[in-house]
Amino acid sequence: MSGGYLSEDERWDLVDRISERIVSYGEYKQSLRDVIGELTVVPLMGIPVAVAVLYAFWSIFGSFAGALMTDGFMVKLFDNYWLPWLQSVWPDPDGWLYFLFVGDPAADNCFEAFGMLTSGLFVSLGVVLWAVLIFYLMMTLLEDSGYLPRLAVLVDTLLHKIGLHGYAIVPAILGLGCNVPAVTATRILETKKQRFMMMTLLAIFIPCGAQLGVMLEVIPDSVGWVMLYLIAGFAIFGIILDRIIPGKNPEILIDVPAYHMPSLENVGKKLWMRTRGFLKEAVPFVMLGVLLVNLLYLGGVIQALSNFFEPLFVYWFGVPKETAGPLVAAFLRKDLAIAQLSAIPMTAYQMITSVVLISIYFPCVATFVVMLKEGWKQLLASVAVLFCVVLIYGGLIHAIGILLGVA
Amino acid sequence: MDMKNSSSNKNINGLGIYVIILGVVAFAFGCADILVWAGFSPGLEIGIMEIAGDDFFRWAWGGLVVLMGGLIMLSGAVNAGDIRQFAKVALGALMVLMIAATDIFARLCENIPAGEEAPEFFNSLGGFIGGFAPPYSPAIILLPFVLVIVYLAMRYDEEN
Repeated sequence: MSGGYLSEDERWDLVDRISERIVSYGEYKQSLRDVIGELTVVPLMGIPVAVAVLYAFWSIFGSFAGALMTDGFMVKLFDNYWLPWLQSVWPDPDGWLYFLFVGDPAADNCFEAFGMLTSGLFVSLGVVLWAVLIFYLMMTLLEDSGYLPRLAVLVDTLLHKIGLHGYAIVPAILGLGCNVPAVTATRILETKKQRFMMMTLLAIFIPCGAQLGVMLEVIPDSVGWVMLYLIAGFAIFGIILDRIIPGKNPEILIDVPAYHMPSLENVGKKLWMRTRGFLKEAVPFVMLGVLLVNLLYLGGVIQALSNFFEPLFVYWFGVPKETAGPLVAAFLRKDLAIAQLSAIPMTAYQMITSVVLISIYFPCVATFVVMLKEGWKQLLASVAVLFCVVLIYGGLIHAIGILLGVA
Repeated sequence: MDMKNSSSNKNINGLGIYVIILGVVAFAFGCADILVWAGFSPGLEIGIMEIAGDDFFRWAWGGLVVLMGGLIMLSGAVNAGDIRQFAKVALGALMVLMIAATDIFARLCENIPAGEEAPEFFNSLGGFIGGFAPPYSPAIILLPFVLVIVYLAMRYDEEN
């Protein structure tokens, strides 16, 4: 040893001494759990299992958030108690303050009232909170059981076709809960090209839990079609972006842990941390979003924009001109915009088109802010891509509807 | 499965036959789910089993999972005692279990609240229990038989 440092030989001797004391040698026998772990990354077995896991994920999501919490308790609580009480105690139903906070005086449910204290509160606490809670619980269980890294390995080949790698599945699935942490999670991708691509595709094609929750309420029978259009768009525009954006798509090594039972304490901590984040950040955005949209309506801004964009909406996208209002509002809250669509008379296909348009249209303001934090150049480029995608894909969906005879 | 005695080997044969029967039935039930959804029948009710076929998600996607679960079980049925083969059987059984468990969870979630028209929030005990009465989906009918495989899988590592 010289000057307090070990020579190379001394370091190896130390390694040998430590390993002799702590490493034990024996015959390794593969367990059933190990074999199941291996099988779930082999495409032939892994893909059917992934199809089953995703089914279970969405089934539990729909049953808990939709049937139990929102339809079972929250609708009754808000429509039978909260709304009538607010309508009875708030003075001057014709005043602008009533319009801002309670909304439509004739409304008999919080979904269609569009006041800050009616729709704003109902959407955030009656619909989205439960959707986000169960989503994050399922997500945490998948993470902690060791399934998520296997899913990453499984989709690696597929995602490489659009210039991403397997771990891009993490921000993609996170985005289905909330796009805000998902944008941050794109940092796990290696190159600038991959991060930009994922951030852009995420902002355009991945609907958040809030949106999904409201979609289940407004168009339960068409959610599958909307998702199909979004997945197809993700793949098509992913391939295009991969071709036109310069940069590398390197391979990665993923550490796949053995399957294990998630620890209750860890699941509880993660769930609390994520749900608390939603309550602190998203709920104020929903409330303020409703307030701002109502102010824009009061000021005639949304009406003016509807008139201005009418030709685009009616002739290019094939949707009623009234959808322009919700589309403008979608910048503030996409979930509320979908709720607003439910009040506009239109065909089932027009509803699907409108919901897809809202999904692929500008990211919500919270996501916008986080994207800005990642760099204003990337944000501007993402927005440019977004406008092209909305115009091309919106027109394409209309064209498909015409060809099928449903538009 | 490196069994330790001849009686265990008999169990392996029995297990193989059991898995083949379960796999074929799961495959048939999965096909039936999809076909009813596709409109080959307006809905199917046989005894305590019902396939409503009214929803893409449940009957087409869910049916596909049951069908694939049956196929995966069948792929592991020959020499089911071997650890890799038995792992396939266990995976197939888990897939059918997932559908059955989510069906039961859906019933649970639907039956806890009182319903839209009722003034109270919670269902009565009678109404709650009544919500679990037949008819059942094919996956729920398969559940007890699938649980046998899951039980064997849980004991597998302990015994070997």
